[in-house]
Amino acid sequence: MSYGSTIKVPLGPQHPALKEPGNFLFEVDGETVVDVKPRIGYNHRGVEKAFELRTYIQNIYLAERICGICSDAHTTCYTQAIEELLGVEAPPRARYIRVIIAELERIQSHALWVGIAAHEIGFDTLFMYVWRDRETVLDLFEMISGNRIHYAMNTIGGVRRDIHAAMVPKIKKGLDFLEKRLKYYLDVVQTEQTILKRAAGVGVLKPKDAVDLCALGPTLRASGINNDVRADDPYAAYDEVPFNVITHDGCDVSSRMLVRCEEMLESIKAIGYALDHMPEGVIRVRVPMKVPKGEVVSRVEAPRGELIHYAKSNGTTKPERYKVRSPTLGNIPALCKMLLGGYVADIPIVLAGIDPCFSCMDRMAFVDVKKNKGWNWTMQQLRRKYAKK
Amino acid sequence: MEKENEIVKKLKNFLKENLVRTTVPKERRIFVYIKKDALKDAVKYLVKDLEFKHLSTITGVDLGGEIEVIYHMAYKGSIVLSIRLTVSEKNPSVPTITDLIPGAVLYEREVHDLFGVNFEGHPDLSPLVLPEGWPQGVYPLRKEHKLEHLREMTSKK
Repeated sequence: MSYGSTIKVPLGPQHPALKEPGNFLFEVDGETVVDVKPRIGYNHRGVEKAFELRTYIQNIYLAERICGICSDAHTTCYTQAIEELLGVEAPPRARYIRVIIAELERIQSHALWVGIAAHEIGFDTLFMYVWRDRETVLDLFEMISGNRIHYAMNTIGGVRRDIHAAMVPKIKKGLDFLEKRLKYYLDVVQTEQTILKRAAGVGVLKPKDAVDLCALGPTLRASGINNDVRADDPYAAYDEVPFNVITHDGCDVSSRMLVRCEEMLESIKAIGYALDHMPEGVIRVRVPMKVPKGEVVSRVEAPRGELIHYAKSNGTTKPERYKVRSPTLGNIPALCKMLLGGYVADIPIVLAGIDPCFSCMDRMAFVDVKKNKGWNWTMQQLRRKYAKK
Repeated sequence: MEKENEIVKKLKNFLKENLVRTTVPKERRIFVYIKKDALKDAVKYLVKDLEFKHLSTITGVDLGGEIEVIYHMAYKGSIVLSIRLTVSEKNPSVPTITDLIPGAVLYEREVHDLFGVNFEGHPDLSPLVLPEGWPQGVYPLRKEHKLEHLREMTSKK
């Protein structure tokens, strides 16, 4: 119902819909959203400038910290870019390990999202269940890498840790458990009325709009477009590991749920195959510190969609320019389109629907607004502190 | 590399003298250097005729005295064609491509924020990522701004 006049409602940067800061200025006519203007940048850390000031080795750790959820996607993209500049290739075993870690990461990221989506529509029981099961993946990460979140597996020229034979049955056991649970959740998101009433037909993104607005990843695939960097532009061992690209043509939040749930099941299959077919051999090759002049475009399918890095080297130990474009920024124009014409009450779930990650998105300029001394240690200070122990 | 070479050939035929040079460093990667005035025609041709419908992102690079703007476009999700041009640092100005690819809207704003490239005809070039109160004319990713300089500037209130 139209009220004939509109009011503007600013939402954010701190707001109840998301755990990360982002500002959206909504223009509403009664209950209907008629315009939306995004304002981002609240998570600036100046990562791109920082890349230019650090050596290629230090930048591995920086890339890892662009995002807390898809940290492996960023380092995979970074290390394969630098490997290409150096003219080296990661050994076959390392490429398989990269696939296993990437797919485990996809599972935990999508599971995190399913939980958040359930929370946004007021279905907290599902949220608790999914997050409990997600722990399985985090425990596997801890076993493989020693860390639950920043696994730090990638390095230039390969991976840093091997997946030993003793780990394989444990990973498989964890995945078997997850598979059972995920099949159950897949059934829940398709049949449970609580979800269908809040997700079906909500946040519609038509295929043409999705393409025009350059949407990415599960958001694009839920609009029926078959597009996945793993299949289209294979990297690591994705040219050898079989998996299906999942698409649904519902174009709504419900389809986005289905795509992500089914992708997790595909990931489990891909990990199983990779574990069984891992080639023997070394996991890394040594590389020089200096990188010859050149430039490269590197792409990875992060859990949220296409991730693209552009690197330009100048023959020294530090890059001349490093550009990162994370999937969330690419999905913001599409997100604004989805919100138009929808209800105010649906804003949280539609916002959450693209699985936004503001840390990834806001990495560009250097802004050191409030100095917190405890966090501003230089590399030398850190080295001094920890070298003593 | 057959497909890549075919695309390059078609672009050469279309752009003629406006195309400076092309490189195909490996499978699924093409770099195309063009003259600034040919940007709109080139993008239109790529989107409409060659099916490069997806814009992955726009990168700015400070070459010292000149700014390079690179448009990374994808062909059915597979081949990445980076079309690039340079503008002078004093008056960096490029026509917008948002009318051809609506998804370019935020990427152009980002490059405008960080490199000061003016995208003529863009609907709204207000700051996207820089904070409120950021000094005008300071483009942090240009090489002239050293880290200490930026830090000093932002800590002043």
